[in-house]
Amino acid sequence: MSPSLPQRLRRELMATPTDAVVSLVLIVAITAAAVGFLRWALFKAQWVVIQANSTLFAVGRYPIEQQWRLWLLVTLLTAATGLGWGLLRGRRWPLHDRIAAGLLTALALWAPAALSLSLAIQLRWWALTALLLALRWAVGVWGPGWWSGLSPLGQRLLPLGWPLLYLTGMVLISGGLGLTPVSPSEWGGLMLTLLMASFAMLLSFPLGVALALARRSDLPLLRWGSVLYIEFIRGAPLITLLFLGQNILGFLLPGGVAPDRVWRAAWVLTFFCAAYLAEAVRSGLAAVPRGQFEAARALGLTVPQSLARVVLPQALRTALPTMVGQFISLLQDTTLLSLIGLLDLLGTARSVMANPAYLGKNAEVYFTLAVLFWCCCAALGLGSRALERRLDTSRSTTNPSDSAPSPAVA
Amino acid sequence: MSQPSAERMIEARGVQKWYPNGFHALRGVDLTVHRGEVVVIMGPSGSGKSTFIRTFNALEDFQQGTISVDGRALSNDLRDIDAIRREVGMVFQQFNLFPHLTVLENLTLAPIQVRKRPKAEVEEQAYALLHRVGIREQADKYPGQLSGGQQQRVAIARSLCMEPRILLFDEPTSSLDPEMVREVLEVMRNLAADGMTMVVVTHEVGFAREVAHRVVLMAEGEVVEEADPATFFTNPSHERSRQFLAQIL
Repeated sequence: MSPSLPQRLRRELMATPTDAVVSLVLIVAITAAAVGFLRWALFKAQWVVIQANSTLFAVGRYPIEQQWRLWLLVTLLTAATGLGWGLLRGRRWPLHDRIAAGLLTALALWAPAALSLSLAIQLRWWALTALLLALRWAVGVWGPGWWSGLSPLGQRLLPLGWPLLYLTGMVLISGGLGLTPVSPSEWGGLMLTLLMASFAMLLSFPLGVALALARRSDLPLLRWGSVLYIEFIRGAPLITLLFLGQNILGFLLPGGVAPDRVWRAAWVLTFFCAAYLAEAVRSGLAAVPRGQFEAARALGLTVPQSLARVVLPQALRTALPTMVGQFISLLQDTTLLSLIGLLDLLGTARSVMANPAYLGKNAEVYFTLAVLFWCCCAALGLGSRALERRLDTSRSTTNPSDSAPSPAVA
Repeated sequence: MSQPSAERMIEARGVQKWYPNGFHALRGVDLTVHRGEVVVIMGPSGSGKSTFIRTFNALEDFQQGTISVDGRALSNDLRDIDAIRREVGMVFQQFNLFPHLTVLENLTLAPIQVRKRPKAEVEEQAYALLHRVGIREQADKYPGQLSGGQQQRVAIARSLCMEPRILLFDEPTSSLDPEMVREVLEVMRNLAADGMTMVVVTHEVGFAREVAHRVVLMAEGEVVEEADPATFFTNPSHERSRQFLAQIL
């Protein structure tokens, strides 16, 4: 029989006199901190600084008459997420999904009102949440049937929708193809932060894998080039590289690739992150036994086939937690962009706090920033753990670690 | 027991190998393996027997001598090496199954990628091979969920799925628990009965006695003795062979 809650609390918190003292001190300290924080957050803090600047925090000085493009992009992203989510889960609604749906609904009900957004924008927020959950439900019901009816080629092409969507997003944000161009200097806020981080993540990944393979290559020039690059980047602080990039990247890259301060910074972030990813991938490669490569080669697979089909899938699986940790650092490192004068989240926040109307509101602004970053990082972390579970092939139905923990002694 | 033909599948002449650290691993080894023949290579650890059979599919290079496999000379030409590897299967001591793929995918990967055969056809063949090695029902499991003996049988089936003309076995039962050795040897015995050309590095005396056409004893990178199993185990002609047999029998 499982012990009652008070019994369990007593056993876990007060097992010995020392435990009891430590527990009591901690309970008092935590309660005091929580009460203090709540008193500040509910009565003292003036959240009007966030409410009045919510658009600025979201997209910076992006022209108002062009903001429909961003709404369109968010709608497309929402639709794609709903589609992917529905296809992944089908009719099942596991606990995680129910929690996520509940949180999203709560957020849609609370956040727009708390930010005292205009009714039009509140409505959009609700509509987006409704669209996401409706698609999740509808695709879950009818999607799997449609998916299995799809030709193998179609099944393989559909995931390409994501990179396509990314390119579409780039066009929507920056203009061109008939849309009014919006120069990168007008981008800002959360949008710029996410754009910089996602750009650097997507490009640094293949670059990092290539560097890691080069570092293990038999060709001395390739190997030493890779070592030199990785060690140079890892030996220099990012902020130095960002300043350096503003000055010299224009000379290093072919004309037109890095025409602009924002893109120069994006490339520096990419090159920086790639060096760290390369080390993560290298440790993953080192963890794959030599026999795996030999077995693949002995079966007649070529070197690229052996790497792509046998070695890399295992190495990347091992390196995944480290790589996601690197991506989370990268997301946080984007705050350094504010130091080279870009209006990312932190840059926007600094410009808001410099406004005489909001003097002394630093705590509110920094707290909001921290929560926003925490949400993004938590999403990355959750995604990575879900992926790890999916890729874990060692778990079997009879694996002892899966069985229930041994019953506690009553 | 099926009888080997006169066709030469593997011909090694004066093979010498030095490791980069200077160790002289192979000191002029000769060996001829005929089609349908089962050759067992025995010898103390460090005698170069694993290194030797790994030269047959170019997992190890060598510095002097010649090796030709199925009429093709081993050279530095990568296309030749790939062609030879397609015809020579290898079963490793550590199984080396691909842990991220299911048993079925382990079997079908190379035929689909290398031979460019249609997936449905390869899968049908894979199921038949799994049936033949007695683990048809494990096709959708991952290697980590199988016992050592089952894994080694999957590894043999994986090699067979490429329809090799020669199978090399590098101590296939050495990392198995004793009760699983028998199921793997049974599969190998059946292969030999079907006329597969096999070169087997092993310490399994029973298997060598019963299945091998010829037993080769290697020591210190050289072939010491080469004889039919009956002669080898009862009346070896070299002192070194007698010492070795005294240790293992």
